[in-house]
Amino acid sequence: MKIKLELFGASRDFSNKDHLEFNIKEQIEIKDFKKEIINYLNRNFKGNKGFIKIVKTSIFCSEDNNIVNDNFRITKDQKIGIIPPIGGG
Amino acid sequence: MLHIKIKDIKKDKIKTSIAEKFIKSSSYGASIIFTGTVRNINENKEVIGMTYDSHDELVLKSFEEIYKETTEKLKILDKAVFIEHIKGYVRLGEISIIIAVACKHRDEAYVLSRYIIEEIKKRSPIWKKEHYKNEQSEWLKGNPIKNEKI
Repeated sequence: MKIKLELFGASRDFSNKDHLEFNIKEQIEIKDFKKEIINYLNRNFKGNKGFIKIVKTSIFCSEDNNIVNDNFRITKDQKIGIIPPIGGG
Repeated sequence: MLHIKIKDIKKDKIKTSIAEKFIKSSSYGASIIFTGTVRNINENKEVIGMTYDSHDELVLKSFEEIYKETTEKLKILDKAVFIEHIKGYVRLGEISIIIAVACKHRDEAYVLSRYIIEEIKKRSPIWKKEHYKNEQSEWLKGNPIKNEKI
């Protein structure tokens, strides 16, 4: 299953692209998907603490633009948006 | 009456004249045009510009929800509301957001304008990256989004 993680705000520093792609073997809940993202950051940014904090303090949104909680289960290929702490206006 | 838009600065401009035209009506006795602009100093750092990032669909959804609340919670029924937010790089002194409101009376116009900007700050997924005179830049920390639905 392919999950395209769309990057916003501070999480844009995770990649030169506007997204990250994850190949996940089975259905996964957001709380476990967060661990996958942190694993990616550990591998590619030597566990950059600032980046990991961004993941831990972010919420996520589904492909149909709904904010989802940690128990939301991703069951098929889809886009997920990471929403770091906000500060616009 | 509501107008909402995210404007990509590379393709479009944000103008108070458009907002003024939208809210203008002889049935409203009070109107307020609020603009947010990029200021020169933040936490003792000299700022030269700001990059705004946005999750457009969620931002527009939040604007609609906030508007709906002004009817249901604030009981301001008769109103015109214009909200535009910029996306992309904005230079010092340039406008990042316009909130224009018009109501029958001034009391409700002030309440309405203030409510909208404060709720946007709390709920709309918009991010700011400050650019400094020393050529460095930094995403501002911000606050975790408030969403009562999760």
